[in-house]
Amino acid sequence: MSDRPPFRSPALRRLLLETLVICAVAMAVGLSMNYRMVLNAFTGKTVAALPIKTAQVAVAEFPDPIELVEVQELIAAGALLIDARHADDYLEAHLEGAISLPLGQVEQLLEGFRKDVPVDRVLIAYCNGFGCPDSFDLGVTLLEKGYQQVRVFEGGFPEWRDAGLPIKGEGL
Amino acid sequence: MNRLRLILFHGSRLFLGGIFVYAGMIKAEDPVIFAGQVANYQLLPYAWNYLVAAILPYLEVISGVLLVLNRWVRPSTLVLGILNLIFMVALTSLIVRGIDIDCGCFRPDADVQTSPLSALIRDLGIMLLILMTWFFERRKNREERD
Repeated sequence: MSDRPPFRSPALRRLLLETLVICAVAMAVGLSMNYRMVLNAFTGKTVAALPIKTAQVAVAEFPDPIELVEVQELIAAGALLIDARHADDYLEAHLEGAISLPLGQVEQLLEGFRKDVPVDRVLIAYCNGFGCPDSFDLGVTLLEKGYQQVRVFEGGFPEWRDAGLPIKGEGL
Repeated sequence: MNRLRLILFHGSRLFLGGIFVYAGMIKAEDPVIFAGQVANYQLLPYAWNYLVAAILPYLEVISGVLLVLNRWVRPSTLVLGILNLIFMVALTSLIVRGIDIDCGCFRPDADVQTSPLSALIRDLGIMLLILMTWFFERRKNREERD
């Protein structure tokens, strides 16, 4: 073994080959189990990257993403839609029944919001669909501020509109 | 190989295998949460955190299972050694940058968080087990050949 160059050594070659096989099998299994997640991540379709958690924030402090069907069910049960987009976008057009709470102004508006909306009401934040992180960030902020049931409608305004559901606003 | 060394070899092999099968399986169960934990390290571009979260748990499980079964001990020890080295570098970078997050080593929803420093110390212990397994395996092979 010692009188051969390293890569000619059969033992080393075998070791490297077996190591590669382990890595290849792990990749194949991992990717086939999670291909959708990885694909979504690389095409920007996941909910915004999880923000940095400090030691105080537990994992459960993130809003649950939900789909259109569930949004409709929750609204029927009394949930409140919250538009996380800029106030101008809201005035232009928004989901029927939604109220405006732009992420950029959340600190100023939250005090008034709190007076109107009890902390145990189910809230559904939305913005401009996949790839738009504002609704997720707003959801995190609302959870931090004490709201207990916050969801994020990932499809947001575009999915709602394309489904032919009612829209309100001045720009219509 | 004398009796003590043989016991040490099989002991560290089984223990290592068990740790990594356990660690890998919990992570494989919820890859999205694990991706968030990888993202907390702030080392990789956004989407790559998900790629790591998809594959890493299975590397741990496969290598761990091989160690427990006493098959392909050298390559699986090598894989775990390289992984452990990467974990240690990543944890050190957290300490250097002063980022205090849960290491994401085991349970994603752990009540008690493991700080980077204690995770690094734990990884040093695991590295010792990896080295023991590696060298005892090599010695055993040589003696079997002679």
